[in-house]
Amino acid sequence: MVATPAEYMAELQAMTRRQFLGNSAWGIGGVALAAMLGSEKSAHANTVSLPPAGSAIDPLMVRAPHFAARAKRVIFIHLAGAPSQHELFDWKPALVRHHGQPCPDELLKGEHFAFIKGHPTLLGTPYKFARHGRSGQELSELIPHLASVADDLCIVKSCTTDQFNHAPAQLLLHTGDPRFGGASMGSWLTYGLGSEASELPGFVVLVSGDKTPDAGKSVWGSGFLPGAFQGVQCRASGDPVLYVKNPEGVDRAARRRMLDALQDLNSMAVASAADPETDARIAQYELAFRMQASVPDAMDISHEDAATLEAYGATPGKASFANNCLLARRLSERGVRFVQLFDWGWDAHGTSATDDILTQLPKKCQESDRPVAALINDLRQRGLLDETLIVWGGEFGRTPMAEFRDGKKDFFGRDHHPHCFTVLLAGGGCNAGTTYGETDDLGCRVVRDPVPVKDLQATILHLLGLDHRRLAYRHAGLERHLTGVTPDARVHSGLIA
Amino acid sequence: MLAACAGIILVGMAMVAPPQRVDDAADAMIAERAHDILVSRCLRCHGGVREQAGLNLAWRDRALQTRTKGPPAIIPGNAAASALLTRVLHDDPELRMPAEGPALSADEVATLRAWIDAGAVYPVLWSLRPIEEQMPAPAPESLWNTHGIDRAVSLRLASAGIPLPSEAAPESLVRRAALDITGLPPDAALVSAYVADPSPAQWERTVDALLASPAFGERWARVWLDLARYADTKGYEKDARRDVWRFRDWLIDAWNSDMPYDQFTERVIAGDLLPGATENDRIATTFHRLTLTNDEGGTDNEEFRVAAVMDRSVTTWLAWMGTSMQCVQCHAHPYDTIDHRDYYAALAYFNQTADADRDDDSPLLHVAWERGTTTVPVMQELPASEQRATNVFTRGNWRALGDAVAPSTPACFPPQGTQRSDRLGLAQWIMDPANPRAARVEANRIWETIFGRGLVETLEDFGEAGTRPSDVVLLDFVASRLQKLGWSRKALIGEIVKSRTYRVSAQPSDAALRIDPDNRMMSRAPRFRLEAEAIRDQSLAVAGLLDRTMHGPPVFPHQPDGTWMVVYSGDGWTTSEGGDRYRRAIYTFWRRSSPHPSLMNFDAVSRETCTVRRIRTNTPLAALAAMNDPTFVEAAAAFAQRAINATPGASDTERARWMLSAALVRTPRHEECARLAQLVAGERAAATTATQPASELSVWSAAAATIMNLDEFLSRT
Repeated sequence: MVATPAEYMAELQAMTRRQFLGNSAWGIGGVALAAMLGSEKSAHANTVSLPPAGSAIDPLMVRAPHFAARAKRVIFIHLAGAPSQHELFDWKPALVRHHGQPCPDELLKGEHFAFIKGHPTLLGTPYKFARHGRSGQELSELIPHLASVADDLCIVKSCTTDQFNHAPAQLLLHTGDPRFGGASMGSWLTYGLGSEASELPGFVVLVSGDKTPDAGKSVWGSGFLPGAFQGVQCRASGDPVLYVKNPEGVDRAARRRMLDALQDLNSMAVASAADPETDARIAQYELAFRMQASVPDAMDISHEDAATLEAYGATPGKASFANNCLLARRLSERGVRFVQLFDWGWDAHGTSATDDILTQLPKKCQESDRPVAALINDLRQRGLLDETLIVWGGEFGRTPMAEFRDGKKDFFGRDHHPHCFTVLLAGGGCNAGTTYGETDDLGCRVVRDPVPVKDLQATILHLLGLDHRRLAYRHAGLERHLTGVTPDARVHSGLIA
Repeated sequence: MLAACAGIILVGMAMVAPPQRVDDAADAMIAERAHDILVSRCLRCHGGVREQAGLNLAWRDRALQTRTKGPPAIIPGNAAASALLTRVLHDDPELRMPAEGPALSADEVATLRAWIDAGAVYPVLWSLRPIEEQMPAPAPESLWNTHGIDRAVSLRLASAGIPLPSEAAPESLVRRAALDITGLPPDAALVSAYVADPSPAQWERTVDALLASPAFGERWARVWLDLARYADTKGYEKDARRDVWRFRDWLIDAWNSDMPYDQFTERVIAGDLLPGATENDRIATTFHRLTLTNDEGGTDNEEFRVAAVMDRSVTTWLAWMGTSMQCVQCHAHPYDTIDHRDYYAALAYFNQTADADRDDDSPLLHVAWERGTTTVPVMQELPASEQRATNVFTRGNWRALGDAVAPSTPACFPPQGTQRSDRLGLAQWIMDPANPRAARVEANRIWETIFGRGLVETLEDFGEAGTRPSDVVLLDFVASRLQKLGWSRKALIGEIVKSRTYRVSAQPSDAALRIDPDNRMMSRAPRFRLEAEAIRDQSLAVAGLLDRTMHGPPVFPHQPDGTWMVVYSGDGWTTSEGGDRYRRAIYTFWRRSSPHPSLMNFDAVSRETCTVRRIRTNTPLAALAAMNDPTFVEAAAAFAQRAINATPGASDTERARWMLSAALVRTPRHEECARLAQLVAGERAAATTATQPASELSVWSAAAATIMNLDEFLSRT
C-alpha cells in the first residue's frame, strides 16, 4: 500500500528520530530516501493519524509527485468578489436582445438570491466582444491585453459551485470545504510536494485592493494540516514578511553575532541531549537569518528593467495588483511552489458608482488586464510558462439578471450566481488556445462539460503530478482530501494539453 | 521478581480483557488482530463512507448480511465459505482483495480464518470497555511504589530493560512545574525554598502553591478556549466583534475554583437547564454560543443556524468523547459503528435553542460588572410549544429532509439510563460513571497538556482509526483517579506533578535512547517548545513587564500595522495603553479572520472550529517572531535594564551569570557566562565610536535577546 504523505511524514519523523538517536551515519537525505523507497507502511494504517507532535524534519523538503508533472508550480490569481463572466468572457447575444425584459420564470424556479428581490429583469452586457489570435477565442473589449495572449488561454466557461455567498464560496474554492477548518490548495501542494525555494516560504500570498478576502486568512490557512504549510503573506509596505526586519539598532552584522552566540550557547546546553527536534528548532534560526536577506531581495522590484516595469505597469514601492503580478514571477523564478494573489473589488452589484459594471468593473479590468498578460509573456520569455500553471478566476459567477437593489435603477450590476462562472488557465500544461464548456443562451446554466470546483481542483493537482485521491491526510477519523471526502471529483482531460 | 512478572501478565491481559479463561483470551487476541486487519486494509473501501459492492465491514451484522452476488462476506464458523476469505485468497490479482496495496500475508489470512471459524466476534473497542480501576502492580523499586503512575511506568521501563531515570535538578523541576501549572516562570522565592530543602514534603508544598496561584486558571483555560473555539469576533465575512469575554473569565474561575468536571460539563452544555440556574450557570453556556454567526447580506439565517447546531453537536462529541462526528453528517462513520442517522439523533439535543444566526446574537444575558453592564450570548431553550422537529439530512444537505429523529446517543456507546432527552440529559449521560470515555478523554488531555503528548496520541479520536494508548494500564489508572477524586482536575494535576515520573531528568540514558527513542515509555522527561501563549508570557515575566491583572474585556498589545484588513468594516486595531499592553496572552483580542500573527507563528489556531490538539511545527517564521516581534524586542530591553539595575558595578561575566540564571532558572556554567560576555564585549566594541561610548542598555539588550531565543528558554525541559 502506498503511504499517504501523512503516513510518510509520520514514518519519516519516526525514522529520523530513531536514526539520530542511534547515532547512525545516515543523513536526513538518506533517511528520506529510505522512507520513500520502503514506503510499505508497517501493519496498521490506524496507528497513523496526525504526525507526532513536533517535527524533526524540514516539512518543506521536496517530495516526488505521484506521476510525471506537467507543472511545477502554481500562480493562482483570485479576483475576490467574483468578476462578471457576462462582461468579460461569456458573450450571449440573446441576453443582449432580451435586455430589460422580465427574467423567464423557469430560470427563477427554486432560485435563491443573495440580494435580488421580486421578479428581476435580464441584463445584456454593454460591452463588445471579438475573436482573437489564431485560436479565435472570444473576449470582451474590457480586456484587450488578455485578448493579445488569447492563444495562451484555456477559457473554462462551465465552472460551477454550490455556494452563493463570498466567504463560503471562497473557502470552497481554496480549501474544498465551504466551512472553516479546511486546508487551502497551496497548503495541500506544499504538503504533497514540498518546496524548491529553500530560503523563501513555499506558499506565498500577495494581497491587493486594501482588503483581505471575505473569508479572511482562512483561504490561505493550513486548516487541519500542520501550520508549517500555511500561506505566508508577503506585503509591499512594512515588513515584506511579518517580523522579517531586525529591530532598530540591530544591523545584519549584529544579528550574525547574536546568532553565533545563540548557536554556541544552544550547543553548550543541549550537546548531550542529541534530540532531533531540538536540532530542527535551532536550525530554523539559520533559515530565518537567510530569509531576512532573501525575502526583501525577492520582494524588491526596483532593479527590474524599465521595459519589464512598463509591461506590467508596476511601480516600485507601491502596493498594487501589477506589482503583485511581477512579484509572482520573481517568486516563481525562485522556486516558490504556490503563489496566491488576491485582488479585492470585483463584487459589482450595481448599488453605487463604486460597484457598478459601467464604472467599477472597467476600472478593475484596467488595473488587472495588462499585468496578467505581462505575467504570461514574461514567464514565456524566461522559459517558465510551460512549468508554471496560472489560474485566474473568482469564487462564483454573476447573474444574467440585473440586481437593482431596493428597486433603484441608477446603476447596473449583477447578483451572485453559483451555476456558472469562467476561470482562465494558462501555462503549466493546460490546453491553451481552447474554450472548454458552454452555458445556455442566457448564460444562466451550464449545458456542456460542467466543471464543479472539486473537478477544477482535481485537474490542477493532476497537472502538478498529484492524484487527488492519493493526496490525503488523516484527520479526526477521516481521510481528508482537497476534493472532499467522497471520491466523485474527476480530472477533465479537455483542460490538459 | 514474582511481583514484576505478575505486573507483566497484567499488562498483557489488560490489552485483551475482559475474558479470563485462557482459550477466551486467545480468541480475544485473534479477534483484536483480525479486526485490526479489517480497519487497516478493508474499511477504507468497505466501511461507512464507500460501502463498495454494498459491503460494510465496520458493523458485524452488515458483514454477515446475505448478498445478492455470492455468499455473505462473513459466515461465522465457516471461513472456507466466507467471501472475505475467498476474495483475499483469489488467484486473479484483479479480483484479489485488498484492491489496493500488497496482498495479505499468510499470517494475516490465517488470523482472519481462525477468527471467522471461531465465530467472527467483533471485539469491543478498547476505549468503550469499563475502566480498569485497580492499582498497578508493585514497582521493582520501593521509591517508585507509592504512586500508581510510578508503578505503571517503572514496571514498563524495567520490563524493557531501561534503568529507572534519576531525578531532575531541583531548580529545573520548579521551572518545569511552574510552566506546566501556571504557564509562567516560577517566583525566585519558590525556587530558593525548594533548592534549600528538596524534600518530598517541600515538593508537595511547592506544587500546592502553584496550584493555588490564580495563574493556574489562566493557563488551563487556554486549553478549553481552543476547544470552545473562543474568539472575540463572530467569524465569516464581516467578522464583527462580539462581547463574550465573560465566558473566558468564567472558565478561568472554574479552573481556579476547581469546579468538578461533572459539574463543569453540566454547566457548559446545559447550565441554563439546571434547576435554579444562576447567572454564572448561564454564562457557562456561552461555550456553545461561540459558534460562528454569519452577518453577510443575503445569507439564509436558517442555513447558518443549522450549521451552528451541527457545530455544537460535533464539538461536544469531539471535546468530551474523543469522537469525530463531522464525517457522519453525510454518511456513516468510515471506521466506527456510528450511523448517518445517529448524527442527527445526537444533533437533536442541540436543536431546541432560541438563537437563530441573528445579527444581534440574541438571546443575550445582561451581566453587571465593575465598569457597567455587558451582554453575553447564551443558550436558551425554546418553549415547548415552539420546539423544532429534527430530521436526517440526505447526504448532509440541510434542504433535503429525511426521517424525523428523536434525541439519542449512538448505540455503540453505553445505553441511555433515565436521563432527560435534552442537553442536560446529554451532559449527565456523558458524565455517567457507566460511560468510560469521558474520564479517559479528559485524563488523557490533562496528560497531554503536561507531557506534550497524550497516552492516546490522537486526542481527537478514541475510535477505531485513532492511535491505541501507549500504556492502557496507565491511562486507565489516571482516568479512574479522575473519577475517584470527585472529578477534581486540579487534584489530578497535583497527583501527576507530585509523581516521580514527572520529576525525572530530561537527560536520557543510553538505554533509553536505544530502546525508547520516542519516549513513549516515559524513560525521561519530555522536552518540547512552549505553547504560543507561554512564550509571550514568560518573556514579559522575565523582563518584569508582565501585568498580572486578571479578567475583563480583551486587550490590544502591539501588532504590526496592516495586519487587519477587514472587508466591509472600518474596524481597526488600536494598541492598548499602559499595563494592558503587557497582559497575559489569554487576554489578547482574538479576531477569527486574523488572529494575532505572533501567536499564530507559534502554532496557535484560528478558533473557527473546535481544536483538540495544536500541532507543534518548527518554521523560520517562529524564529523571526521571537527575534523581531516588538513585544519580544521590548521585553529584551526591559530584561537588560533589570539586569543592569540588579548588578551595579558587576563584571560582564557576573552580569551574564545573573541574566542566564534569572531566565533559565538554573546555575549557568562558566563557559556559558563567558560566551555571553564575549558577545557583550563584541557589541560594545562595534557600537563604540571615537566620540561616544556604546549604550550599555543596547549592548545588554543584545545579550538579553540572545538568552530569550535560547532553545532551553523557549522549551519546557
